[in-house]
Parts: sequence; structure tokens; C-alpha cells
Amino acid sequence: MFSKKKPTIAYTLERCPLCNMETKRSYKKGDVLFSKTVKCSSCDGTVVIEKIFGETVE
Amino acid sequence: MTNDLIWIIQRLTLVDFTSLDFDELFGLDDSGPLMMLIWIIPIIVFVFYGQRIQLIITSGEIKKGIKKLALYKSEAKSELLDHIQKTVSPKKDPAKKIDIFLDYFTIMPVDADPNGVMDKIRHIVRSREDYSREQIRMLFPEIDKIELAKVQTMLEIATALQMLHKFINHMFLTAKKQNNYPLILPLQMILPFVMEEAEAMREAIPAFRNGQPIGDGIGPMVVGKMMLETKKETISFQTVLGTTEFEGRKLFLLKAKGPDSVVGRPGDAVKAILEKSQIDAIIMIDAALKMEGEDSASISHGFGAAIGGIGTERYQIEEIATKNKIPIFSIIIKQSVREAITLMSKDIAFQAENVLMQTREMIRDNTKSGQSVLVIGVGNTVGVSQ
Repeated sequence: MFSKKKPTIAYTLERCPLCNMETKRSYKKGDVLFSKTVKCSSCDGTVVIEKIFGETVE
Repeated sequence: MTNDLIWIIQRLTLVDFTSLDFDELFGLDDSGPLMMLIWIIPIIVFVFYGQRIQLIITSGEIKKGIKKLALYKSEAKSELLDHIQKTVSPKKDPAKKIDIFLDYFTIMPVDADPNGVMDKIRHIVRSREDYSREQIRMLFPEIDKIELAKVQTMLEIATALQMLHKFINHMFLTAKKQNNYPLILPLQMILPFVMEEAEAMREAIPAFRNGQPIGDGIGPMVVGKMMLETKKETISFQTVLGTTEFEGRKLFLLKAKGPDSVVGRPGDAVKAILEKSQIDAIIMIDAALKMEGEDSASISHGFGAAIGGIGTERYQIEEIATKNKIPIFSIIIKQSVREAITLMSKDIAFQAENVLMQTREMIRDNTKSGQSVLVIGVGNTVGVSQ
């Protein structure tokens, strides 16, 4: 009854298809699922946006 | 007046307060005259004014709901105008035109003779969609198609909130005007559901505004992933088709064209595909409303066309499937109304791999090598490309 609404923060999960390295970062405007973003920091692959989701802050 | 006062004072001096029997007056048991009055008066009041008292109490709750609906409605409108100002920068103030759009209504066709009613509904709904799309394009000629889809969706949300507010307010005012308590009862019953939907719509605006995937986008997300390395073509309005091979089966992959905020026209697409190719099974992946007590993001399998909306797309797919004797299988991902139209939750997003695995399993179980399967990712594809 008196509980406050918990805020939801949007995150983007990126994955390199070559080395499978995953990075979770805050969502940036313009992020779209399956779009290629930047060069992978650990190999020659290009990082792809795998997921965009919201997490509720407890 | 002065005489009356003198008379009262005289009477009071005659009353001997010392001889009053308080025990008798208040009576420790229920038979005392004052206690009798305390019991009887409320009974009489409730017999004659019970409904009116209930009406007053219920009115308070409904008034609070109407206030919230009015707030949501104006918030949706100002969010829409703010989005237009920031993204399209129109030369003229669009507020007046938006007000006219918000009041648009749709008259459903006569169903006394149901023959051909689905085609009529489809025609009316599509005419409305096409009209509002063209109006937005005319109002903001520089708008790109992604922003146009966003504005159209936000306009639909604002219109729906306006309609909800109007309807609830009308019912409430009618009941109050006529002092009609029975009329307020159904309103009291539906109000929690209406508020849940209105709150979900209000929370949906930021996701559509930012172009983020929503819970309903899980179907397009799964099929979009399957489509990644395939050759794609536009098969019907705002709908894209990709073809690929999977363990000897030919896969036709269908979804709305992302990352725009659209649902596509899967009915027309299925018709177009079947005109050119033979299909042995249809698998539909969609978000579905969970029942109370069910877990969010749980997956269920079933038969029949899993597609929501007004029913025209479902009717079209069912009709084609029946005519061609194609079985329809469905995979649904359960979620609440709020989850379905707001930013995709972590639980739903992380079910995508499971859904993909189960789709492949369903293809293996229900078709043989050499057959063709049509997989449809149903839902709004905002923020989901392919």
C-alpha cells in the first residue's frame, strides 16, 4: 500500500560472436537488437547487441 | 424571542437533575431507551439511505481513479508533443491537430449479418491506421519512418488513455446524476482492470519513445535472431521474410520489419508465401497474458494461431491454414499486461535462447526432412532488427 515504485534501468548486453565475450552496459539511445556496434576489445570480431532489457533497482 | 428564552430557563430550573437515574437511561443492557435509539437509528438510516451511503463511499474511490486517468491522459499527450518538438521540430504548433487526432473514433461494422464481417473490420481498422499515418506524414513532412512509427504508437496510447478516461468519467457521472447505485457497481468492478491497463500504457511511453524492445517483442526477437544471416525481402506491408535451411527443412521466417514500432501484416504475408510455396507446418511465437499465479517469462506450447489484436490477422491465418490443411503450432511466453508493453524485462530477454531451442525442437518433432516450415515471430518489433 505504501510501497514506492522501484525505478527500472535499461541495459544493453553486447556479445562478440567470435570470442563470445559479453559486456553489460547502460542502454544508449539508438541501441537496436542485433546491430553491430564496436570492435571487440579482445579479438578481431565486431560486437553485436544481444539483448536490451530493464532491471528494477531494489 | 425573549419570552421563549425566559420560558426555557424556567423549565430548566424546574428539572431536578439530581433525581435522574443514569443506569436506567443508558441501561447497561440493550433494553435502555438510549441504547435502543443507538441501535434503531442506524438501522433506519441504513434501510432508507444505505445505497446512497455506499454510493458516496464508492464514489470517492472512483473519483481517485478518474483523477489518475486524467493525469495519465494529459501526461501521454504532453510526452507526445515533447517528443515531436525534440525529434521533428515542426514549423507550426501541432497541439491543435493532435487534439483532433486524440478524439478520433472507430465505428465497428454491423454484425447482425456476420457474413463477411471480418473483412469489413479489417478494412475499417486498416483505413484508420493508413489515415493517421498519412496525416502524421503530411503534418511533419521531414519525419523518417522510424520516428513516424514511434509517433503513431504514442498517438495510439494517448488516444486509448483519453478514451478510457472519457468512458469511466461518463459512467460515473451518469450514476451520480441519477443516484443510481447499481450502475456504479460494474464500474467499481472493472476499475482495477482499467487502472492496471492505463498504468501499463503510461509506463509504456518511455520505451516506445526511446525505441527500446518491449515484452511483446520476444517473438520478433527470436525470429529476428534466426533471420540474421538470411536473405530478406519485404513480403507484405511492414513485414519481412527470410529463408534458410534447418536440418533438411526449408524455413520461412516472418516478422514485422524492425526496428520500427510496427506489428506488420502477417495475414497478408502468409497468403503471399502460400501463393508461391508449399508449407507443411506453421509455428507462431508470441507473448501471451499470464494468469494470476503463473510465472512471468514461462514458456508454453499449444495449437492454433497465437496472435492477439482485433482478430483480423488471426482469422486470415486460420482461414489459409484450414484451406491448405496446414497444422498451426504455437509457443507463447507468458507475461503481465505491464510487462508486455513496457521495456523488456531481464527474465523475458533471457528466455530468448530457450524459446529458440524449443522452436527448433518443435520443427524436428513435427516435420520431416524435405518439408517446409513457416515460423512467425508475432508482436511489436520496436528496437528489434533482423
